[in-house]
Amino acid sequence: MGKREFTIHVGPQHPALKEPENFVFKVDGEYVVDVEPRIGYNHRGIEKAMENRTYIQNLYIVERVCGICSNSHQTCYTQNVEELLGMEIPERAKYIRVLLAELERIHSHLLWLGVAAHEIGFDTLFYYIWRDREVVMDMLEEISGNRVNYAMPTIGGVRRDIAADKIPKYLKMLDVLEERTKFYKNICATEKTVLARADGVGFLSKEDAIRLNAVGPNLRASGVASDIRADSPYLVYDEIPWNVISYDSGDVFANVLVRVDETFESVNICRYCLEHLPDGPIRTIFSPLGKVPEGEAVSLVEAPRGELIHYIQSRGTDKPYRYKIRAPTLGNIPALCEKLRGGYIADIPIVLAGIDPCFSCTDRMVFVDEDRDKRWEMNGEQLRRYGVEWYK
Amino acid sequence: MIPPVLSSLIQVFIFPGFIFILSYAMFCEWVSRKFVARLQNRVGPLYTGWEGILQPLADSIKLLAKEDITPKAADKFVFALMPVAVFALPLTAIFLIPIQSLTNLWGYSPIVSFEGDLIIVLFLLSVIILSIFLAGWSSANRFGIIGATRAALQMLAYEIPLGIAMIGPAIFARSLSIGKIVEWQAQSMHNFLSAPNLMAIPVALLLAVGFIICTVCLLAELELRPFDSPEAETEIVHGWQVEYSGKKLGLLRLGHDVKLVLASALLTSLFLGGPIGPWPIPPVVWFLLKTAVCVLILSNASALFARLRIDQMLGGSWRYLAPLSILYIMAVQIIAGLM
Amino acid sequence: MAMAKELLKNAREKPCTLLYPFEKTAPPEGLRGKHVFVGEKCIGCGLCARVCPAFAIELLGGRGPKMSGMKVYLGRCLFCQQCEEVCPTGAIKLTTDYELAVLKQEDMVLVFERKPPEAKQPKKE
Repeated sequence: MGKREFTIHVGPQHPALKEPENFVFKVDGEYVVDVEPRIGYNHRGIEKAMENRTYIQNLYIVERVCGICSNSHQTCYTQNVEELLGMEIPERAKYIRVLLAELERIHSHLLWLGVAAHEIGFDTLFYYIWRDREVVMDMLEEISGNRVNYAMPTIGGVRRDIAADKIPKYLKMLDVLEERTKFYKNICATEKTVLARADGVGFLSKEDAIRLNAVGPNLRASGVASDIRADSPYLVYDEIPWNVISYDSGDVFANVLVRVDETFESVNICRYCLEHLPDGPIRTIFSPLGKVPEGEAVSLVEAPRGELIHYIQSRGTDKPYRYKIRAPTLGNIPALCEKLRGGYIADIPIVLAGIDPCFSCTDRMVFVDEDRDKRWEMNGEQLRRYGVEWYK
Repeated sequence: MIPPVLSSLIQVFIFPGFIFILSYAMFCEWVSRKFVARLQNRVGPLYTGWEGILQPLADSIKLLAKEDITPKAADKFVFALMPVAVFALPLTAIFLIPIQSLTNLWGYSPIVSFEGDLIIVLFLLSVIILSIFLAGWSSANRFGIIGATRAALQMLAYEIPLGIAMIGPAIFARSLSIGKIVEWQAQSMHNFLSAPNLMAIPVALLLAVGFIICTVCLLAELELRPFDSPEAETEIVHGWQVEYSGKKLGLLRLGHDVKLVLASALLTSLFLGGPIGPWPIPPVVWFLLKTAVCVLILSNASALFARLRIDQMLGGSWRYLAPLSILYIMAVQIIAGLM
Repeated sequence: MAMAKELLKNAREKPCTLLYPFEKTAPPEGLRGKHVFVGEKCIGCGLCARVCPAFAIELLGGRGPKMSGMKVYLGRCLFCQQCEEVCPTGAIKLTTDYELAVLKQEDMVLVFERKPPEAKQPKKE
């Protein structure tokens, strides 16, 4: 037979990837034999930048880790700092944070659905979904003052209140969103060409999903009903009635269904929040130049893409000593490679998009010597010394 | 009276030849883009000319001015030749299609016509795909090669149903010349109107089936959705076109537009009665109207579906389209025999 | 074919595209846009420059009474509104003006002047 395999580089620049990342595919004709991811094209040194800024300034740096789940990162950060401060935030602030988080989830899931339609070449659906997503974008803009970087959570609460006279309007907008999402769910379930491209494509078994540490909708599409909001509730998720969505089939179509159904759940959570918004203040005061007591904390948030982990270490100054972010996409990459193996080249974009990747949140640095096949791992102290040596 | 040489030159280069077809091709691209945009609730091209009607021309001029890059590893001769082929071959095929006679306002003889020109058109359609394959292969790009093989594979799937569907009207007309097929349609329409008979119903139904098969195959030939896997943008970065830029890309785009005209012209001449219509309007107007409708049908289909994978396309074609076309040609034979 | 009805419906409707430079939507109340600075209110405390996460605010002439003005680098600004939030007198504010495109890099810098309070002026002389 001879050697029939050849390699294809998808990325760092490729229309299927909205962010630079490299995947080297070994293909045989139209089949994918193996895949090797390479991350690190988009490392921005945010964690280091955070060590040089005060706690208030960091609010806006951490928000810019991700363009789509900006609110999740900020919520996660504020929870960390509030835990160190021993601060309890007002009920109303908690509800507004949940509202923002769920609106963000709706916007992220609709965005994903549009991108997925685009990846399988269904541009009409993509245009329609993105057009209707504007409803939730407008809503977020009106609540927070910006379409993408809401800057709503702050240390001690939220920065803007929700006007009581606007609530009926928001409820009406949520109705529109629900109706349109129902329509798109119906389209995805009945359009034959969509089914042909999504059903049974990019399979991930339940065992593999757990073994490879998949997170978020990707995990729930493989039949594991795990959601940080339910497993270790933060804010007021334990007071609000909602369900964890999970599907068993583990393919791209299950991903679609999980995300669409989660959108419905989110719409319901938003409705509940708007209708049961408690009265009271929206924030407790934290001085803009305030210091945070010594200690360390970890906080978990269910971002639209999955489990988000932030770790903070404080040495009692006005700046964090160390900050660490684990974005959901990093957890999903091994599972993604498993999904891609054995598929078609034509399915690469939809499977890649299927985990809703956000590579800029994910990127990190590792010291590797390719020639000698060696890699280093350093702890914080070693890294600090390495830096001192480097710049000496 | 114009001398015959001059008349032929005008026919080939100006009307209804080169310039006419080229401007109509650009118009068709605009119609298609505008229509798809409206279906998708967008506005489409807007600023160049009335409602952006000059946008395809502006795009071509822009591409002419762009840097033309040939990859180092490419087979330079083939790489440069194939855009010309992709542009010239459909244009040649259009010369065989009746549009409008230059001397007689109500005449519609094609520029070139002979017994068997339908076969030539079919042959040219295959050669276009062959040049697409060579274009992708010679660019020595991995995505280009994948796109090229997909184009060739796709041709294997739809070429037979396409050929069979186009032979259907030829059997009815008992001629392999497109001009004669058009005349047969005019004749039978005339006969039907003067003396209606029941035989016309199965013939019309069969032609409708042929029209559907032909449209599906031409969607694949034109690489429109759902059969655009040879140039799937999100998968293989425009497939076989990936390395083309500048003038060559401009030619490829024009070639695609001309192919769109050719496809709709074929549908028009074989199934919709070509340039024939009620009297006070000259044939060329009927031709333009009917082809524009075909362009709308083709572009509507491309807004309606997701892209099929190449294996799904092949499987679907051999499982449904090929048997359907064989049933169709059998029915055509039987009906034509009864007539 | 599931979309056919929706396609036809949309073809009859007006496109949702907004032809931006000619048609504009009104920005919602509370949009975070371009800055304004009220020189009379400013007390020169410099808190805004200290909290700015992007270091986009520069005080001209130093803090306190000798501060003569303020530079806001729009190219760096994140529009987080933290400066407005910490300002004790409401001297710096974000408007809803969202059209910030300029042709020259110099225009990306807003320069505001601060007149020293007039009551103090005669005392100095």
